[in-house]
Amino acid sequence: MSTFIKNYIEQEKISRRNLLLAAAAGLTATTMPRAFGPGMAQADAGGWALAWSYRDRASAYWNSIVSGGEAYTESLGLKKEDMTSLINEGSSEKSLADIKAFLAKNGGKAAIACDANDSPNARPVAEAVKEAGGYVSTIWNKTDDLHPWDIGDNYVAHVSWSGEKPSAEAAKILFDAMGGEGGVVHLGGIPANIPAIERLNGLLAAQKDYPKIEILDTQPADWDTTKAAELMSSYLTKYGDKIKGVHCANDNMAYGVLQALKAEGITLPVVAFDGNPEAVEMVMKGELLATVFTNPHWGGGIALGLAHQAALGNFKPSEEPNEHREFYGPSILVTKADAEAFKAKYLDSTPKYDWTDKWGLSAGQIVYK
Amino acid sequence: MRLRKGLVPVQNLMTRENLLKWAPLLVLITLVLFFSFINPNFMSLRNFARLTIAASPALMVAVGVTFIIIMGSIDLSMEGAVSALAVIFCYFLVWLGGSIAGFGVLAIPAILLLGALAGAINGYIHVRLRIPSFMSSLAMGFVGTGAAVLMTGGNIVKIDDEIFRSLLTYRMLGFPLMAYVTFGFLLLGWVIQSHTRLGRNFYAVGGGEDLAHASGVNVKRVRVLGFALAGFFFAVAGLLQVAKLGQAESVTGSNLMFISITSVVVGGVALWGGVGGVWNALVGVLIVAVINNGMIVIGIPDFIQDGILGLLVIVAVVLSTDRRSVAFVK
Repeated sequence: MSTFIKNYIEQEKISRRNLLLAAAAGLTATTMPRAFGPGMAQADAGGWALAWSYRDRASAYWNSIVSGGEAYTESLGLKKEDMTSLINEGSSEKSLADIKAFLAKNGGKAAIACDANDSPNARPVAEAVKEAGGYVSTIWNKTDDLHPWDIGDNYVAHVSWSGEKPSAEAAKILFDAMGGEGGVVHLGGIPANIPAIERLNGLLAAQKDYPKIEILDTQPADWDTTKAAELMSSYLTKYGDKIKGVHCANDNMAYGVLQALKAEGITLPVVAFDGNPEAVEMVMKGELLATVFTNPHWGGGIALGLAHQAALGNFKPSEEPNEHREFYGPSILVTKADAEAFKAKYLDSTPKYDWTDKWGLSAGQIVYK
Repeated sequence: MRLRKGLVPVQNLMTRENLLKWAPLLVLITLVLFFSFINPNFMSLRNFARLTIAASPALMVAVGVTFIIIMGSIDLSMEGAVSALAVIFCYFLVWLGGSIAGFGVLAIPAILLLGALAGAINGYIHVRLRIPSFMSSLAMGFVGTGAAVLMTGGNIVKIDDEIFRSLLTYRMLGFPLMAYVTFGFLLLGWVIQSHTRLGRNFYAVGGGEDLAHASGVNVKRVRVLGFALAGFFFAVAGLLQVAKLGQAESVTGSNLMFISITSVVVGGVALWGGVGGVWNALVGVLIVAVINNGMIVIGIPDFIQDGILGLLVIVAVVLSTDRRSVAFVK
């Protein structure tokens, strides 16, 4: 028998076996959720399935976003498992595919909150949701030319956080701690990320009021602790004693900076961004001068809440002003003076939010430059 | 040509083989001189100490993977392995009292054993299920990262034990303690490579697996032991990462794959097996660390740093590997 024929027969056998296996798996998949999953409870969300699409569960930030979405779900009298997590693992393609699959599974009756992973992906996501008849809110990533009001009621809102103003405030605290003079180095996020750009701009803006402050260098450490430690070491070689203060675009990089300084027995004032629990502890101990909290719990809850409330018909997005469709979330500066009170309020316990107060914590309409 | 006994003619030293053998070291020295010429701060004891801190965990991963590459296989599980082992070490240390002055010291041998065990499982899956090492180890790496995410729930585990952290903070002759520890483990790697039967078997398998098998080498056993050894060194890297950063999380091992594999190849270990050793790994790691540190120190704009790193890697590989001996490159 020729190998071609042998292979052909083999192939046919395998594909028949695969078909049987696939059918069995499909049957199990459709029956399993009915037996064990939430199933019935979804009726209580007014017939709408709830989902959050985000990057991963490997950071305190995204966990906090998800906890907000779950808090909103529980406020409806549901269990937190009734909100589905769609994890994109940093892939825009997976983000879009997951959302399409979720829409298809629920016949379009879905209220979704999502971070589209990168800016260009927000448009296909919004269009896919509109086509299926679902409702979506986005956070962080979208292009400047995409607006919810251009897509229609199905694209309910976009929430972002201004990095510039809070970053400038943190920088001013740093400059004051330095006595208003000396060299500063900046450790930035991934260069093309919008928050990385805005947080650097905040530093540069603050420097204008402090003529004796010199920005020595600004390099990316990609939000990463290890890379930040190595970058800080290299800065020390290049600038040595000229460095009097360090400005970091997030907390994780500040951890690396502090360790690089510890290795040399140097103490310098350091400010950071995100308000993660570890960073707040460091502020309380005086290791870190300040950090900025963006309340991801509220952001995660309100993004899902807006999409769901619009889906229920409790408000009509197109009748709302633009400042209710594109707005900044809140930012809170945490310094040693208020760190303890802050920790008690936001970290040791989670504040209960009234999710019907949709724009209560908004910091104004998003401004494009 | 007649020469007195004991003298070697210069021409014999300048053979192609010798040049290839020492090329990575020459590349390293050239880079150090180049960066020092542009910014004299580069050539200072304090900067060299910083380089060793940056390079120590990466070197341990590189030594581990060198054994695998000598066998002609590849192990890509390092990122997940280092993350998971670092996280487990931190939890274990905290559970045992939080200080290596007490029972906490048991966490160190425990994690080294666990690393070796995880490596052995990795190797066993590769050998037993006949999955290419590339795929099986990559998959095991994902399992490791997943386990780290599951254990931490995305949070950070901090270690404040000053005695353990003295690996970073205590200095002897200007270098942190971790530099000496790393060098100790590097010597251990060298002893295994050059003075044990297992080490010779790695080369035998990498040089020609069929031949090694026909000569009575238990190739499967050698492979599993090789992966176990790699796992042991990944555990050392995990310990050093915790010492260096004072914390562990699910991304503690990130970036180690690129740095270690690049370093091993740049250092002159051939990906097709049978060539190179742990000293090549050392030189390779130092080359990559010097490039990364040097680019900041001489002030190359950040947006072209990645591009330059890539180019320098290609140049270093061209200079330091003997490509004439291979019939084709896959």
